This record gives sequence, C-alpha cells and structure tokens, in this order.
Amino acid sequence: MNLRQKLLLLLSLMVAMIVAAVAWTVLVRIRMVFEQRDQEETALFVSQFQREFQHRSAEVAAAVDRIAASEHMRSIAFALAQSSDPSPYLTEAQTLAQDAQLDFLEIVGPDEKIVSSAQWPARFGYFEPFAWDDQPTFLKTEDLPDGSSALALFASRAAGRSESATAEPVRLLGGKRLDRSFLADLPVAPGMQISLYRAADQSPSTEQPHLGPDFTSFDPKRMISAAGDVPNASRYESLIHSAWNSGQQTSSILYLTSRREDSVNATAIPLKSNTGAVLAVLTVAVSRSGMVQAQQHIRAIAYGVAAGGILLAILASLWIAARVSRPIEQLALAAEQVASGIWDTHVPDHGRDEISALARSFNHMTGELVAQRDRLVQTERVAAWRELARRLAHELKNPLFPLQLTVENLIRGRELPAAEFDEVFRESTQTLGMEIANLKTIIGRFSDFSRMPQPQLERIDAGEAMRRVAQLYFPSAPRGTRAPAGEAVPAEKITCRLEIASPPLFINVDPELLHRALSNLVLNAMDAMPDGGTLTLSAQSKGEAVELRIVDTGTGLTPEECERLFTPYYTTKQHGTGLGLAIVQSVIADHHGAIAVESSTGGGAAFIITLPRAEECTS
Amino acid sequence: MLRQAAISILVAALALSASARTRPHYGGTLRVEVEGDPWQRPGGMARRLVMDGLTTLDPDGAVQPALAIRWASENDDHRWQFWLRPGVRFQNDAALTGAAVEASLTASCGASCPWSVVHAVGASLVFTGDSPMPNLPALLADDLYLIGTPTDSPAGLTGTGPFALSGDLGNHNHARVLANENCWRGRPFLDAIEITGSRSIRDQWLDLSVGRADLVEVPAEQMRQARDQRLTVIASPPVSLLALSLSDSGALANPNLRAALALAVDRTALSNVIFQKQGEITASLLPASLTGYAFLFPADRDLDKAHELRGGVTPPTLTLAAEGGAAMQLAAQRIALNLHDAGFSVQVVNAAAPQHIDLTLRRFTLESSQPQAGMESILRAAGLAVSIRAQTPAELYKTEREIVDAHLLIPLLYLPRAFAVSGRVRDLRLGADGTPLLAGVSLSDIQPEAAP
Repeated sequence: MNLRQKLLLLLSLMVAMIVAAVAWTVLVRIRMVFEQRDQEETALFVSQFQREFQHRSAEVAAAVDRIAASEHMRSIAFALAQSSDPSPYLTEAQTLAQDAQLDFLEIVGPDEKIVSSAQWPARFGYFEPFAWDDQPTFLKTEDLPDGSSALALFASRAAGRSESATAEPVRLLGGKRLDRSFLADLPVAPGMQISLYRAADQSPSTEQPHLGPDFTSFDPKRMISAAGDVPNASRYESLIHSAWNSGQQTSSILYLTSRREDSVNATAIPLKSNTGAVLAVLTVAVSRSGMVQAQQHIRAIAYGVAAGGILLAILASLWIAARVSRPIEQLALAAEQVASGIWDTHVPDHGRDEISALARSFNHMTGELVAQRDRLVQTERVAAWRELARRLAHELKNPLFPLQLTVENLIRGRELPAAEFDEVFRESTQTLGMEIANLKTIIGRFSDFSRMPQPQLERIDAGEAMRRVAQLYFPSAPRGTRAPAGEAVPAEKITCRLEIASPPLFINVDPELLHRALSNLVLNAMDAMPDGGTLTLSAQSKGEAVELRIVDTGTGLTPEECERLFTPYYTTKQHGTGLGLAIVQSVIADHHGAIAVESSTGGGAAFIITLPRAEECTS
Repeated sequence: MLRQAAISILVAALALSASARTRPHYGGTLRVEVEGDPWQRPGGMARRLVMDGLTTLDPDGAVQPALAIRWASENDDHRWQFWLRPGVRFQNDAALTGAAVEASLTASCGASCPWSVVHAVGASLVFTGDSPMPNLPALLADDLYLIGTPTDSPAGLTGTGPFALSGDLGNHNHARVLANENCWRGRPFLDAIEITGSRSIRDQWLDLSVGRADLVEVPAEQMRQARDQRLTVIASPPVSLLALSLSDSGALANPNLRAALALAVDRTALSNVIFQKQGEITASLLPASLTGYAFLFPADRDLDKAHELRGGVTPPTLTLAAEGGAAMQLAAQRIALNLHDAGFSVQVVNAAAPQHIDLTLRRFTLESSQPQAGMESILRAAGLAVSIRAQTPAELYKTEREIVDAHLLIPLLYLPRAFAVSGRVRDLRLGADGTPLLAGVSLSDIQPEAAP
C-alpha cells in the first residue's frame, strides 16, 4: 500500500469516524428526546383518560341516582314490594333508560331477579348478580340478545328504600357503553391513536359471574378506535396479551408495517372490573414517524457529510500525494537508478518546501557524483596512464639500458682487435637479442591486455580445471585422477592443498582463458609466499554458482591494496606490469562471473571466483 | 192525583227517550285504525266487508249459510255440493254464478286447496277431494275463500258483501268502503267505513282518545294497560294460538331434540309477563273451552327432562324467527333464553331472512268453534295438511295427541283479540275468530232524519 492509499484510507477513516460519532450521538439524543416526549404525552393522556373515566362514571352514577330518587321509581318499588308482580313493569327500564340517556338499565326486584331490562327485555326473571347496594361505578361486560357483548360503566343503586323498610329493596343497575363515542370524547394529541380491545363474547355465566374473560385467541376485529376498525390491529397482539395477563400497564415499541415510520410507542392499559379481572385493554399509540423522519434526516445528512468528507479526503490525499508522495517516489526511483549505476538521474524540484529542497539536494548529489565519477575516472585514467607510463618507462628502461650499454660496447669494441671484437660482438648481439625479446614480451603483455580475445565456451569441470593448474605448478600431484578433497601436494617450500567437491562442478568457460586466470592467481599466491606456506585450491558448489578459491598464507594485503588490486597497471611487485589481475578480472567478467579478494595484513589472501553453474546436460 | 199523573207522564217521556236511544240509526262513517294491512290475510277487516263466503261462522263459531244456502256431502265426505243463494248480485250488479264462484275459489288457493277439484254445476258447486273433507263447510268460512271478482272499476275488485270498495285497491294503508244498498243481507247501518292501516298502537290509541278514530286494536299484552287508561275494550275469548312451528329437517330432524325444545319453553313467563296474564297457557292445539281435555297436555317446563332428551348432544346454532310485532319479538327472545338454559344455542333472526329457519314463532287464528274444523284450520295454516276426521272427543284427543307429540307445532298460549272503541260505536260484536263484525255496527251520534 503506497503513501497515497494510506493517506486516503487514513483521512477517510477519520472523516467517517468523526461523522459516525457525531451522528450516533445526535440520533441517540433525538431518540431520547422523542421517547421522553412520548412518555409525557402518554402519561398526560392516561391522567386525562382517568379524569374522563371518572367523569363518565359520575355521569352514570348521577343518572342512576336520579332514576332511583324519582317518584316514579319509588312507586314502582313500592308496588313491587307490595305485590311482587313484576309483569306491569316489563318495559319500564327501556323508558327510564331512554329518558336518562343510559345505554343499559335493569330494574332488579327484591328477589334479585330482573324485573325489567332495557338492553335485554327478555331477561326478566333471571338473576342479576351485579346489582349491589350503592357501589362505586364499575366496569362490566354486558351480554346482549344478539350474542354480542358490550363493555360498559355501571352503577348500582337501591331505589325507593324506606328507612323503616326491612325487606330487600328494589335495585337499579344502569350503565353507559365504553364504545367509539367514548373514545371519540377522549382528548387525543396529534399523532396519537387510542383503541380499545375487548375480550371475545361469552355467554352469561351465572355460576361465576365475577370472573373476567380469559385472553384466548386474539381477534383483530375486536379492537376498535374512534374512527372504526384499527389498521394492523394484529400487531398489538403481544402487547395486549402481556397487559391482559399481567394486569399491569405495559409499553413497547410496535412496528405496524415493515416501514420504520409506521412504528409507534404503544402503551396498553388494562381496564378492570371491581373484582380485578381484566375486561378490556386500552391502547395508546404515539406515532414515531416524527422521530424516525428526524433520524432519517440526520442519517441522510451524516451520509452526505461523510460522503463529502471522503470526497474531500480523496482530493486531499491526491493533493498530498501530488505534493509529497510523488516527489518521494520519484526520489526513490531516482535513487534506485543511481544504485543501478545511472548516476546522471535528476528529479523535478519545483517549489520551496522540504520535498523540493530534498529533490534539489538529490539532484546536486547526483550531479556531484557524476562529476566526481568523471573526475575519478579521469584521475584514474590519468593515474592509470601515469602508472602505465611509469611501468612502461620502468619496464622499457630496464631492457633499454642494457641495450644502450651493449651498443656502446659494440662501438667501443670496434676499436678492439677483431678477435676481441668478435667476442664482444657475439656477447653484445646475444644481449641485444635477449633484451629485445624481453621488450617483445613486455609489449606482448600490454597488447594482450588491450586485446582480450572473446571466450570460446566449453562445458568443463571446475574441479578438473583447478587440478590442472595445481598439476602445472605442483607436478608431483597425481595426474588424471581426482585427488581426494583436502589432499596436500607438497612442492618445495609451498604446500598445495586441493579441496575439490566430489560431484563434478560443470561450468561453461573458455578453458584456456580460465587456465591463464587461475595460473595468474596461483603465481601471485606463490609470489606472496617467498618463505613458503600453504596454497589451498578449492572448488565447491554455491547454489547456482561454482566457487573457486585460491588461498595463500602469504603476507596478505592491506585494505587499500584490496581496493586497487584489480585496477589496470596497479601492482605491488617491483617487476609487475599490473595487468595480471586486471586480465583475470576481465576474463572472469567475460564469463559472467565475479572475483573478490579477502585478506588482511599478515593473514594471507583469498581470491574467490564465482562462476555460474552450467545447466544439467539432459542428453 | 195530579202528582201521580205528572210522575206517570215524566216516566213515560223518559221511557220514550230511552227507547229512542237504543234503536240504531242509519248513517255515519266508522273510522277504524289497524296496525297491519286492512286487506291482508288473516283477519284483514276490509275483506269481509266487501266479500262473502259460501258459508260463515256466527259469533258462537257455528257454521251458517252465506252465499250457499245448503250443502251436502257424499262418498264419505269426498264429495260436497253447495247450492248458491239465488238472486245475489255483485256490487257491480253482475249476477253471482257458479262459474264466478268457481273462478274465485280457484284463484284463492291455487294448488293448495283442500279439495282436488271444484266445478260449477248450474247454481251449485261441487267439490271433490282425494281425501275426505269432513270440515269443508267450516273451512269455506275462512276469509281465504271469500268470493270476489275483479272488475274494470277503479276499485278493481267487487264482492257481494255489505260494503263496496271505494278507491284504489292498491293503497294498502287506507281502505274506504261504502254501504252496499243492494246487499242480500240488507243495507248496513253505516254509510261508510274508513280503515287506516299501518298505524302504530300508540297512534291508534291517541286518535281514539282525541276522537279521530272509532275502533282501534288492543294487543293482548296491552289490554291491562288499555283498561288502566280507561279505554272501552272489547275482547274475544282466546282464539289466537301462539305456537312454535318447528322444521323437521336439519338439526331438528331428531324428534328427541324437538321434544327437548318443547320441554324447555317457560310458558308461564310468556303468559304472565310478556302477555300480561291475558293469555291462557296451553300445550294443546285446541283451547280447553273447546275440548275440555287440554289439561292432559302438560305445559310445565322441565329442564331436567329437556337435558335428558338432548342427551349431551350439542346441536348447531338454531335460528328462531318471530312473525309479528314487538311482543312477538320479545317472546322469541325469551324463548331463545329458555332454550339456552336447556343447552341449545339459538339465534333470533329476521323472519324475512333468506336463510333456513329452524323455529318460527307464529300466531294461528282459531277460525271455528268446531274442534275438528278449528284444528284443521290451524294445521293447514301451519303447513301441516291433515284432515281431521275424528268424530268423538276421544278420537279427537288421540289425533291431537299424535300431532302434538310429533313436536312440529308446539302450542304455547291462547290469546284473545281485543279492540277499543269510542263511545259512539254501538252493537259491535266479535266473530268466532275475534274479528269485529262491522256490518252490524251503528253509531250512536247519528240523528235520525226528520219526518217530512
């Protein structure tokens, strides 16, 4: 992952996290505020409902009281007490209920049997267990002739009782429905829906009339509101079931549809009879659409801000990348090029910031490197030419001086008698010939160095090449056989050890050029041990390469000498051309190998040649 | 002496004036109001004013000649012949012929006539039946078999009765009939009778009290109330049978269930409360006054026996409908409660509902005081076409027992028919079926015409 991508990721994450944190905080706060408001509204409604309920109860009680206290009712009560014939009053309850605007009214005789019923006239003569004396208003489910039932507020009063009467009085049981009109009268805040759920219709039970209905299967049709049926009523089932069974007010969030906007904060309030049995459940549902919309709005803004922030992060990262990472990349690329040897690399250095300063410094560095390299090359070239000239002068001077002396001797010898001149002539010509051959050798070496032949590659065994060189300079070594690894071949003062690996180490080289290179190294090693020592020749496999080592126990080399050892015309010998190791290095380089030296003063020296291994011959 | 003469003259004058008040006068219009349709059977008052039957029932329920002066049966009552009264003309002056009577009878009952064939033979009609028709003369007194004939007049219908229709026959809320000057019975005292239908009982009583009506209906359950309001009430003996008609298909195909239903009904509550003790509890088809053996049919409620007969079977919800007004609906609801106590589930429905109805609360009018004819008319009205041939009370009881024990018709109460009249109505009598006999009514406030 490059700097640009890291910057982009980092900035995007920062923006996203900040936006998410802010949005989450705002959403939580919004929800808390709305829920608190809903709770307050619900609590307010509950108190208003209770007031309305009490008001309705008082209305019912007052209506029943008026009927009970009326003269007409007194006369009926008196007549019933006297004759116990209820038949004349069969329809009285209907008339009284109509006048008092009650939905339900029953006149119950002293024998607790219904004399007249407004809601179910045919029930005369049946027991009415709910007609008690002067009880507070209570809720009751009233069965109706059509098989249905109605939830109503009832009040029971004794009618026409005389203070001196000892007989049971006539009682009135009057009530008003809790239906849609009651729900419509409740004060409802905007966004609030009130509904009432009643239990399933049940036939009247005279054995246990005080037990309320059990919550059996939920019937959405039994849920009503002021406007009629309640949409998605089945969603309220669990809440109503919980409130019904526990008898406690229960609240929860309900999702009326799959959309969150249609969710509501619902509170279920069980309505109980005077015996504590739950007869119905009033549900208050406050719409959460406002909160959900606000949340959605906040989320949309958050998404927008996050998207914008990420976009800005992208632009910032691009800008930063353009300002920072690209120059750095260019610098890194340029550094790679410099490391690969392309020293005249330049990077753009626009601007005045640190990166630009770095770029300018880099360009200055590469410029200086090139210049120094050029100077160094020039200097080395000059030095090499000087060295060459010095060596050449030195090498040529040596044979030229004897040549000069010899010519002078010949000139002087011309004055000598013929016999002496012949002797002198013969000695002088022999000396001239020797020194001219020496000059030819010296010039031949220079010529060889300047004109290195192309290698003619052959697949040979590197170990065999090492043995050949050892055999050349240490003839006592067995020929044609593989010397066991580590076997020493003593030759005068120098002991030659061969450490050749057992498997053949095939390499593709020019055998003669390699022989000459190895010979040069062996000769140098022998020259480094004038007092004797040990020369170790080894050949072993190093992965995909073959390593040839020529190790002596001579005087060793200084670090400076190690650095300049392969420089042409550099030599530590008094009589060397300085081209031997250069030729060796050139030969090794022509074979795509490498040569290195490891040495320390007095610790001998090790020349290490690494050549690529030849491919396995499949034929 | 002088004092005695003055007293004698005074007494004679009083006697004269009294005799003058008791003598009916011709004229006046009687205003009648009813809750139903004056033309609708049964008991539509206007029908009997305009049309006569071959026979009629006197107030005691005995069969009397009307348009037929005599009749005879043959072949074990399989064949009857009725001779027409001669000289009778329809109100449109057409002669009463056998053909006209035959056409009217055929149009009246269609395919459900108690006879198989009726045809005119000269001035007589011959009735032939596949089954014996021992009570044919009494049956022919039913208002279903009144003789009328359509005309081109605006009234559309004409008969031989004491009154002729005036106005549009299609207006069922109002019927005005005018005295038939040429009625074979003689001209009635009244000049006209106006019958207003579809009038609630409350409005009828109000009109009676303010003098806008002369004769109004008094339902049995409101007789006590009417008397409490000091209305002049004329009531018939119990002639209206309140009974449950049961279906013999569906859930009630099981006779035990029908028997359980019969035992579950509380007749006492119906009689004492709903019908304000104006009814006569009965479990027999005929009232005790006709047979004397009604007590042999137990009318008490027996819930235990009802549960036992039900045998733990819970039949599907039965449907119960009531024909009639508020009292009938209330009685139906009470019966539904009674049946619920016996373990039945009953739903009270509208009588006009298209669904199958298991139980129907109905009223049947006892048309004749003859037990056989009366029973046969009730059964025929209930759709149980049975020919009653019992000759002796024992046979009649046996026949009735068989019918009642089938529990397809559960008698509950016998109720009277009652009417309230204004002070100007004189000589109003009720027929054997409780229908007011308006033909003989006169008005007391009609002043006789001064002698020229």
